[in-house]
Amino acid sequence: MAATAELRKRAATAPPRNRRTVAICGAPNVGKSTFFNRLTGLHQKVANYPGITVEKRIGSLELSNGQAVDLIDLPGIVGLHPRSEDERIAVDVLRGASGMTPKPDAVILLLDSTNLQAQLRMVPEILGFGIPTLVVLNMADDLSARGGSVDVEAVERQIGAPVASVSARLGTGLEKVSRFLDGTLPIPPPVALPVLNNIPAERRWAQDTAQRTNFHPPEPSRWGRRLDCAFLHPVAGPLIFLGVVIAVFQSIFTLAVPLMDGVEALIAASGSWLGSVLPDSMLKGLLLEGVWGGVGSVVIFLPQILILFLFIGILEDSGYLARAAAIADRSMRAVGLEGRSFIPLLSAYACAVPAIMAARTVENQRDRMATLFIAPLTTCSARLPVYALLIAAFIPEKPLLGPFLGSRAAVMLGMYALGFAVACATAWVLKSTVLKSKPMPFMLQLPAYRWPTLRSLTFRLVDRAKIFLRRAGTVILVTTIVLWFLASVPYTDGQPPAIGDSLAGWIGKAIEPVVEPLGLNWKVGIGLITSLAAREVIVGTLGTIYGMEGDEDSPDLQDALRSDLSFGSAIALLMYFAFAMQCMSTVAIVRRETGGWKWPIAQFAYMLVLAYAGGFAAYRIFG
Amino acid sequence: MKTLTDLQPGTSAVVDKLRFNDADTVRLMELGFIPGMTVSCQRRVPLGDLAVYQLDGSQIALRHETASRIRIRFGTGAEGIDGGNG
Repeated sequence: MAATAELRKRAATAPPRNRRTVAICGAPNVGKSTFFNRLTGLHQKVANYPGITVEKRIGSLELSNGQAVDLIDLPGIVGLHPRSEDERIAVDVLRGASGMTPKPDAVILLLDSTNLQAQLRMVPEILGFGIPTLVVLNMADDLSARGGSVDVEAVERQIGAPVASVSARLGTGLEKVSRFLDGTLPIPPPVALPVLNNIPAERRWAQDTAQRTNFHPPEPSRWGRRLDCAFLHPVAGPLIFLGVVIAVFQSIFTLAVPLMDGVEALIAASGSWLGSVLPDSMLKGLLLEGVWGGVGSVVIFLPQILILFLFIGILEDSGYLARAAAIADRSMRAVGLEGRSFIPLLSAYACAVPAIMAARTVENQRDRMATLFIAPLTTCSARLPVYALLIAAFIPEKPLLGPFLGSRAAVMLGMYALGFAVACATAWVLKSTVLKSKPMPFMLQLPAYRWPTLRSLTFRLVDRAKIFLRRAGTVILVTTIVLWFLASVPYTDGQPPAIGDSLAGWIGKAIEPVVEPLGLNWKVGIGLITSLAAREVIVGTLGTIYGMEGDEDSPDLQDALRSDLSFGSAIALLMYFAFAMQCMSTVAIVRRETGGWKWPIAQFAYMLVLAYAGGFAAYRIFG
Repeated sequence: MKTLTDLQPGTSAVVDKLRFNDADTVRLMELGFIPGMTVSCQRRVPLGDLAVYQLDGSQIALRHETASRIRIRFGTGAEGIDGGNG
């Protein structure tokens, strides 16, 4: 108890920056993120481990005694023998060997209480680090609902560490966790635990401990069996997989439209209100045309991106995604990759940057290189605004499969399929030439099905919205303002130039000969340059250019594009965006991950050639 | 010698021997493939040659090639986990 008193004294006198660090660890799919979100609420940030790029989630927590602690959500581990980079980080942090992240002051080990006889094996491994540890038996609600039980006090006595029975999903049992964090929880006397580095012995100890603590495993979930019967059915399984994918894309259009209209109306209303209250000046022009026209035309796509992430969140949290990965394994192998590459590639549909980081979970180095090389070819969410704008402007909406699939959703689906197909072909070429390797054993854990909670989905969406709006507020805002200035000089006789005579117009016309074979004009040419920073910038750029050029009262970007580009040019532009690496963040992350310029330059050049050739061919065919 | 690939969906056996290098063996044991542990084959995954195995309270999908290197024996598994005394 002296230590606790000492801790409290220190807490009272320590300056606020001297915060304690508490690491949350456990196997994958035991509810670490739900638990973390439950404790920290929205006071969390995603950072990178310095030098290495696996996302590190840190949350701050104010305790009842006024002290603050930093919680770290470590990547999931199944033991202390890491195979991939993210597992290595988790183990290094616990060892205090991670260099930049200090050894945590305390650890919370999360176990799935429905499978305690297996999960207890982690206890001696984690307690062996000698850090004060709280063992949390999570999913207590699930355990009792299915008729299982365990004597928590007996577990405490058997392992010699405090134990809390918690349901992170419902938020019950957290009082004990708070008391552990503020140092008022009594610590049971330590006991001798089995020797480390002997998995069978550890596992046998876990079995005995489960028995001694009256652990009664729950009835197996009948739901899980039935769902697997359907989702992994030889015929129905692949069909459901296809149906899920179609439903996601259809809803990106149908569900998002009213929301997008709402956001658009809001931006238009606030823009015209600003226009009416601001005096005529250069600042007014910048605000209305530059900021409202440029950033506004990107922000409109927030609902579509959130709907995409909502679906990915539901699929992941429910446990379906792992089944989908199992079904996809065959196609992954056909292109020479292992099934593990499927998850990073899937997250590339959101954004290539986290996908390239997630490729650290791929154990085989050559597979990892192939995965990060092809990741930017999958259709990331930054392409979504570009595709959505062009498709809405040039593809008339017609029902194709009754109410299930419209022509616009079908074209969108086609763009996703195209990106996927080219990524696969590229992987195959790489894996059968420069990145050839021997296959490694393949094992994929299928987590239990769980009902996704509103709470965790909300956290995902808030996270995503923050990232999107931050980009809109930084990269897109800056490029839009720079563009607006380039488009507003040189002044002649105190008047801004017509866009075609401005510096931006001059630059656009200088590169027009290069983009002309794709059926594109100098205005789009400017967009291709500004969107080198990030793909969706082109939407803002076109919004600014056509906004400055068009008549003052609400120039509709779609109408403007329709009158300025042919159908063939629009398809060429779609092709260009499907393939070109218009994203500086991706170039930067690939350089960091591969430790040099060789890969990012090769990747950029390869994708540019594909983009140009694809656009050229499309303009020939459809133009 | 029977291996996991000989296990038909709906039947079970006991893990006998893992024929992998040390690192792969450790990971498979961490996932529950410990000699003496009862394993059952649940179903084959459509498309591909994956099969889903149930053991130690979790479900793990293995490729045919990986499963063919896990030897099994038939028995109850009542004798418990093999080896590793100490």
